[in-house]
Amino acid sequence: MGANVVHLALFKETEIDHAAEAIARLRELGVSDHDISVISGIPYSERILGRPMTWTTIGRIGLAGAVVGFLVAIFLSFGTPLLYPIRVAAMPFQPIPTSIVVIFELTMLGLLISTFIGVFVETISPSFGPRGYHPKISDGHIGILFSSPAQVEESIHATLQALGAEIVHNVEEERLWP
Amino acid sequence: MAVEAKPLETAVPLPHAEEDPREHLMFDPRPREVMNRMVMEAMTTTSRRYWAWVIGLALVVLVCLLGAWGNMILTGMGLAGIRRPVFWGLFIVTFVFWIGISHAGTFVSAILRVFKAEFRRPFTRAAELMTTFALAAGALYPLIHLGRVWVFYWLIPYPNARWLWPNFRSPLVWDFLAITTYLLSSTIYLYLPLVPDLAMARDRTTGWRHALYRLLALGWRGTEAEWHRLRRAITIFAFAIIPVMFSVHTIVSWDFAVGVVAGWHSTIFGPYFIIGAILSGVAAVVSILFVLRSTMLHMDYFIRKEHFDALGKLLLVFSMAWAYFFFNDYLLTWYGGEEAARRILTLHATGPAAWVWYLMLICNVVIPWLTLWNRTIRRTPWAMFIITLLINVGMYAERYTIIPLTLGHQRMPFDWGVYTPRPTEISIVIGTFALFLLLYLLASRLIPLVPVWEVQEGQMAHTLRKVGKAEVPSVTELE
Amino acid sequence: MAEERPAKWGLVVDLDRCTGCNACIVACALENNVPFVGEDEVAYGRALYWIRTQRYWEGEYPEVTPTFQPVMCQQCGNAPCEPVCPVYASVHSEEEQINLAVYNRCVGTRYCANNCPYFARVFNWFDYELPEPMRSYLNPDVTVRRRGVMEKCTFCVQRIVRGRQKARAEGRELRDGEVQPACVQACPAEALVFGDLSDPESRVSQLARSQRRYHLLEALGTLPRVTYLKGVGNHGG
Repeated sequence: MGANVVHLALFKETEIDHAAEAIARLRELGVSDHDISVISGIPYSERILGRPMTWTTIGRIGLAGAVVGFLVAIFLSFGTPLLYPIRVAAMPFQPIPTSIVVIFELTMLGLLISTFIGVFVETISPSFGPRGYHPKISDGHIGILFSSPAQVEESIHATLQALGAEIVHNVEEERLWP
Repeated sequence: MAVEAKPLETAVPLPHAEEDPREHLMFDPRPREVMNRMVMEAMTTTSRRYWAWVIGLALVVLVCLLGAWGNMILTGMGLAGIRRPVFWGLFIVTFVFWIGISHAGTFVSAILRVFKAEFRRPFTRAAELMTTFALAAGALYPLIHLGRVWVFYWLIPYPNARWLWPNFRSPLVWDFLAITTYLLSSTIYLYLPLVPDLAMARDRTTGWRHALYRLLALGWRGTEAEWHRLRRAITIFAFAIIPVMFSVHTIVSWDFAVGVVAGWHSTIFGPYFIIGAILSGVAAVVSILFVLRSTMLHMDYFIRKEHFDALGKLLLVFSMAWAYFFFNDYLLTWYGGEEAARRILTLHATGPAAWVWYLMLICNVVIPWLTLWNRTIRRTPWAMFIITLLINVGMYAERYTIIPLTLGHQRMPFDWGVYTPRPTEISIVIGTFALFLLLYLLASRLIPLVPVWEVQEGQMAHTLRKVGKAEVPSVTELE
Repeated sequence: MAEERPAKWGLVVDLDRCTGCNACIVACALENNVPFVGEDEVAYGRALYWIRTQRYWEGEYPEVTPTFQPVMCQQCGNAPCEPVCPVYASVHSEEEQINLAVYNRCVGTRYCANNCPYFARVFNWFDYELPEPMRSYLNPDVTVRRRGVMEKCTFCVQRIVRGRQKARAEGRELRDGEVQPACVQACPAEALVFGDLSDPESRVSQLARSQRRYHLLEALGTLPRVTYLKGVGNHGG
């Protein structure tokens, strides 16, 4: 599979129906979903494209961050007054009402920061599926990246062109990020 | 025969320009390519006037903010007009003002996103930028107003040599935590939806800009996984940042409300401050949108009368809500009849600085109520600009009434005192306004100010459907 | 050596006796290294007095009589200034039952000063230089404060500590009246009486039980350690 070359079929932004159709055709022609990836300038849901659901761990990473933030807040508001007890006014060392404020803020901070870290880590970690890019994508084009065995290439290209696709052969992987 | 007497006159709708759905951005789609070019051109075009403003503002920041602040650090807080018993003055007033302004971005972008208010699409980024820079300007004030700013890090909880931690029972520490949380999360919330637009800018630039966008776009290609991830993260942020926003201004209000100071110790202060913050923030968004629309290329395509109209309606609602909370706070204090608090209310309305109090009521209530009900006024951008500037003047007056004017007349008449701001304070305040504008000006030429992908997404979801003879707007749920 | 009883220091101000002579202010300034800020600053309300005499006029002009009320930090048992400080520069002393100001820890948020209903706290707006030869009078027992720091009356805690140490060295308990803050010592009319409120026999406790007693802004629930004895009309000045 690694030897297969990657091709890109570009559809205009108004031709989302054709793009979705093209994905179905590719599948019929024996290109598996693993060898297809769709790149687009605006988000299209998997339902629109008829693709398997993607998944992400961001929610879980965010939740883990919230737990960390919560624990830090517990330490700061209930632990530190014990490390160095200082009496102020008639307040107890570990008052619950004021701790709620600290716990809320730090839990949210943990949740939000780790959500971002989740996005960042998932973005820079290696992804599966055919790679490649074309500047027309950010102009709203829908691109279907696929790698196909050489023997079916001809028929695939004919099918796609019939649907109005503009085919870019042998897409080179571009380094988009340092 | 009698039945089919006369042919019906053709019902041609009057050519009301306002009735035409194509007047709305969502029903006036342009190809993505064109919109990209418009945004890129707006971003890369600078005029001589632009640079004059940048240089001028940079000088003001240098002299009025850094110069005056530096001088105050070296000489002492005494350069400000604060005195016993008014220990907090313009610095805290302006701090509250900026934190209030910063609520707009989150409001426009998170709350309207959660409720799927489509008119938000073209200006979410402009509002988010405002949040971030208003916070940057506002977060300076807790530092500026410290008597010994060189030891500000004592407020940060970290294991230091003496194992002495900050006092988590102090509202100032909550402030520190809340503002840190809000600043970080609103900056990230600005950045996340920006990534696809940065990738767009990356594909269309060369040189240093290309290098910059390439770095910031994190290698964005627009794959399904990337979109999915981005959407999930934006959803988490939109929902989570709303309570953070509420908490931030509530905590700012607690700085006052937890004290024993007469006129501050009020349970309504939290929501009262939040409503005030949203009122001033949304007003500031309108002001900024007017400036963007009239100075930047192609912005009149993205930012239209409909947006001023929609925000104007929101402002009217918030102005009413503000009046409701204000009255609540006022009535109960007045009725409660505690001598000190009542005297403060009398003083606000009849004292030497009563004009501030009346200015607040006129700008926050009278002017919006008299003007914003009117559709024509709401759809006149320059009128909205003036009204929203006045609302912010009114909100500044509100904070001025609450802070120095209340502090000066507490329970011991012997210690009453009047506060007048001094040049150093005024200069620093002007300096932070310049800082905000400067940051905004620079950012407007560095990042795409319109979230193009969100606009295109919105335009794809909106179509005009023919029902009978009329073309009616219809929205498709794409997500 | 006997187990030391924790003291609860308190002050009684007899308004009938106060003549408004301001000797307490001078004594306090000298004892506590309170700098002079100059006329203009005093006029603007930036005097650094730790104790001040509040003068009110009673009656209609020309039939007016002044009343004097010396006000210093009330050393509240439930002090509003303490919990609001983010850096623990205003803390409660368990040993003396007074409210301490930690000058070296203060970052100058001035929150405590706003939250003090008695406005007993003063702020160092600038660095104040004592003129020569006043510099030689500085009390070595008291820290000098730099700009940007809050300060206030401490009941001359340095004298309390010294008195306690002396008594401990001599193996005895502190005698009533042995420790006196500078203002009490200087008061010619004996309007100020200082002592241990936890000892029911001390002079200050006896006076604090007087029928004329009241606390400043008692309704706020700050539990002040300073008791005022109401003036009954026989005003000195």
